Amino acid sequence: MIRAFRILSGNPLSLLGLCLVALVVLVALLAPWIAPFPTHNGAVVDFAFANQEPSPRNWMGTDLVGRDIFSRVLYAYQVSLFLGLVVLAIAPPIGAMIGLLAGYMGGWTESVLMRIVDVFLSIPPLVLAIAMMGVLEPTLTNAMLAVTVMWWPWYARLVYSIARSEREEGYVLAAEVIGASTVHIAFREILPNCLPAIITKMTLDMGFVIIIASSLSFLGLGVQPPTPDLGSMVAEGARYLPDSWWLTVFPGLAILVVVFGFNLLGDGLREVLGVNQ
Amino acid sequence: MQSPVLRLLMRRLGISLIVLIGVSMLIFSIARVIPGDPARIALGPNATTEQVANLRAEMHLDDSLVVQYGHFVADVARGDLGMSLYTNRPVTLDIAQFLPATLELVLFAGVIMVACGLPLGILAARHKGRWQDNLVRLFTLLTVSAPSFVWAVILMLLFAFYLPLFPIAGRISDIYEIERVTGFLTIDTLLSGNLLAFGNALSHLVLPACALALSGIGQAARLTRANMVETYDRPYIEMAQAYGFFPSRIARMYAFKPSLIPSLTIIGLDFAAMLGNAFLVEAVFAWPGLSRYGVAVILRKDLNAIMGTVLVIALTFLIVNIIVDLLIAFLNPRIRHSTRASL
Amino acid sequence: MTKLLEISDLTLSFKELFATTDVLHGISLSIAAGERVALVGESGSGKSVTARIILGLLQETKTAHITGDVVFEGKDISGMVRRDRARLRGTEMSMIFQDPTSSLNPTFTIGRQFIEILRRRDGNRAKADCLLRATEMLDEVSIPNPERVLASYAFQLSGGMNQRVMIAMALANQPKLLLADEPGTALDVSVQAQTLDLMRNMVTDHRTAVLFISHNLGVVREFADRVFVIYRGNIVEDGPTAAIFADPRHAYTRALMSAVPRITGAGLPEVPEVSEAFLAPQISHGDVA
Repeated sequence: MIRAFRILSGNPLSLLGLCLVALVVLVALLAPWIAPFPTHNGAVVDFAFANQEPSPRNWMGTDLVGRDIFSRVLYAYQVSLFLGLVVLAIAPPIGAMIGLLAGYMGGWTESVLMRIVDVFLSIPPLVLAIAMMGVLEPTLTNAMLAVTVMWWPWYARLVYSIARSEREEGYVLAAEVIGASTVHIAFREILPNCLPAIITKMTLDMGFVIIIASSLSFLGLGVQPPTPDLGSMVAEGARYLPDSWWLTVFPGLAILVVVFGFNLLGDGLREVLGVNQ
Repeated sequence: MQSPVLRLLMRRLGISLIVLIGVSMLIFSIARVIPGDPARIALGPNATTEQVANLRAEMHLDDSLVVQYGHFVADVARGDLGMSLYTNRPVTLDIAQFLPATLELVLFAGVIMVACGLPLGILAARHKGRWQDNLVRLFTLLTVSAPSFVWAVILMLLFAFYLPLFPIAGRISDIYEIERVTGFLTIDTLLSGNLLAFGNALSHLVLPACALALSGIGQAARLTRANMVETYDRPYIEMAQAYGFFPSRIARMYAFKPSLIPSLTIIGLDFAAMLGNAFLVEAVFAWPGLSRYGVAVILRKDLNAIMGTVLVIALTFLIVNIIVDLLIAFLNPRIRHSTRASL
Repeated sequence: MTKLLEISDLTLSFKELFATTDVLHGISLSIAAGERVALVGESGSGKSVTARIILGLLQETKTAHITGDVVFEGKDISGMVRRDRARLRGTEMSMIFQDPTSSLNPTFTIGRQFIEILRRRDGNRAKADCLLRATEMLDEVSIPNPERVLASYAFQLSGGMNQRVMIAMALANQPKLLLADEPGTALDVSVQAQTLDLMRNMVTDHRTAVLFISHNLGVVREFADRVFVIYRGNIVEDGPTAAIFADPRHAYTRALMSAVPRITGAGLPEVPEVSEAFLAPQISHGDVA
């Protein structure tokens, strides 16, 4: 772990990723204290300062009802990170379990499970989430549900492909010979070999989950106003281009910064853990 | 003797059919299993109980789920996706109207993705560890780090507003009247022989397609690089070096083709991502395609239209994947000449 | 006697960020035209890098630092520009690799690869002419039905067949020097022996000089006129094959010989242990017995 950290911080790009991620997490956690206008995360209006361009008072300008965009970006980070964490706490274990089962058991279990995974993977990910949100009420919880439903098959396929090749390895055969139970072999022998790949994918996916979630809210299918969300902020501002450019550009760049951070970190992690695509 | 490629095609079609049935079940269950009365959702809170009951009967909602699914599949098989409550037209007709615009956009973006992504990946692999490689890495990581709608907004701001090189929105200027043949405006304008209109349609296509292609370029470049680097470690590359071929020739002839084969699979997946991201880009550029239709019907809880749209997108994606698989089989002699085509 | 290849005092080291690894400590060896010379040693002793220096491949690696002379046909390879070195490869010298099947390109037919290689000599050679020459060569390595083989891909042929194809390719341009780096180690013992016999006949017919790199003294005894034994980047003993086998004088050569597997071609010889005596100076038996 310490060694991994040292290698990671040796690569300038990975270090940059680590710093970006740490910065975003920090400002999101400290938002109530460091946001210049902490009340602006809700339904507040201040028409005296409506639609102002960036200034020393409002670093990123204000929106159409006069709320400070910088403050709202900080709060929106809270929402994005929370959503990402929840999705990545649920989808990978489910996917890994199914992939492990299919990869290790083989036979009918394998065929049925992997065909189901194929079905999920044959609908473009965003389209599946959009379709689900079309039927569900647009709330944060439902957005997390929709993203989780579209996400688990990717982990299933990843773990499946590793488990299938490990099934033939000597140490698995050896464990079978000494009579270890199926559960023991799957969880104690094979699963640990999938972990580096899973962890790397999770780091890279944190960024993608944020992208997908902001895409949903961009289309009006995710988190609803007045809760601040980067995607819906961009959508709202897009109608006032090019004059009120700050309405869209800053929330857009905010997405870029956090996702870029996670991608750099994940890319570095992949090299440290020696995981291929 | 049956050719392996043909056998592969049959096999893939068979699998696709199974997957398609699965997709229809998935879509059906999303629409039906979710709490709430679909008829009530469709008609809104102001509809009378009688109206709701009528629609329930029309949608077979009072039958068992299995029977409902049977009706659904039978209708779909006849090409009947039901009526859209939003446009009051058959969903099939709506899709036929809006699909070509999306396909044109996505195909154009796909061409941009391949044309930029592969050379970037090759460049990075040939200069592995040097500044060219790091530059490409930085670029690809940046492009995949923002959703398409952010790139769409940024491109629009830069190249439509500040530098007015391209039009802001739409598919073609209103002054042109083009007879609809294929629904692909770039083709229809050429068919009508109106070169000005063709240029106009093309210039409308550039920004949305670039916005859509950007993250795909990153993916394609990263993958091509990884595959090329792996190929460069193979003994046959050393053999080519030992026989004194020029490095550029080795890259082009010996390393590229074996690396392209695994890249193609991912390009197929990127295409899927583009079909989804088209929802975002079409919204920004007011592109009158299937995705904009999809968002509109979703916001109105128009179940038939939602199911039809998702089904058609899944079908498009399956077809693209079959094409990619055939392309791989064609490029990879191991599949083309194997007696047992495996997948 | 004029030498085709003359290596004198060749050193090689790899520079890494903080450390330098010395691989060759000043080795000298020579090969006369048409002569079969073996370079024998364990893996990691520096034999494969020597072949890559002769081919001029390692000179293009930035981290490799090379001193000493490598003179081929009177011209110093180290002093050449990259392009001139590349011109020699595939024409005047060629190489045979360990694993024939993975050394042939999987996406092109054997015929196509023959054309590529023959055009290294003559860029404008007609396709039909190339294929005719390829057929001739495949005939020489006793491949039945050469036309079918030319239309095949490497993965469709057996390892032994691919090895014959490699030999035919390596000799198709009538090179003066053939480098064989553990040829056929990846193959079955009996197939390996067969193809080695074939290779010996071929190089004798074509009067091609060979640098045969191997860890296997048993194979070397059958094949080479002269032997150089290499240990940790130093040549420890050299001389005519018969002389060395009759009277191995260096401690390392003796250790290597006592470890020779009885069945021709099998496995790595296991040299018992590292000994001070292995580092003793080079012993030379003279050029020709």
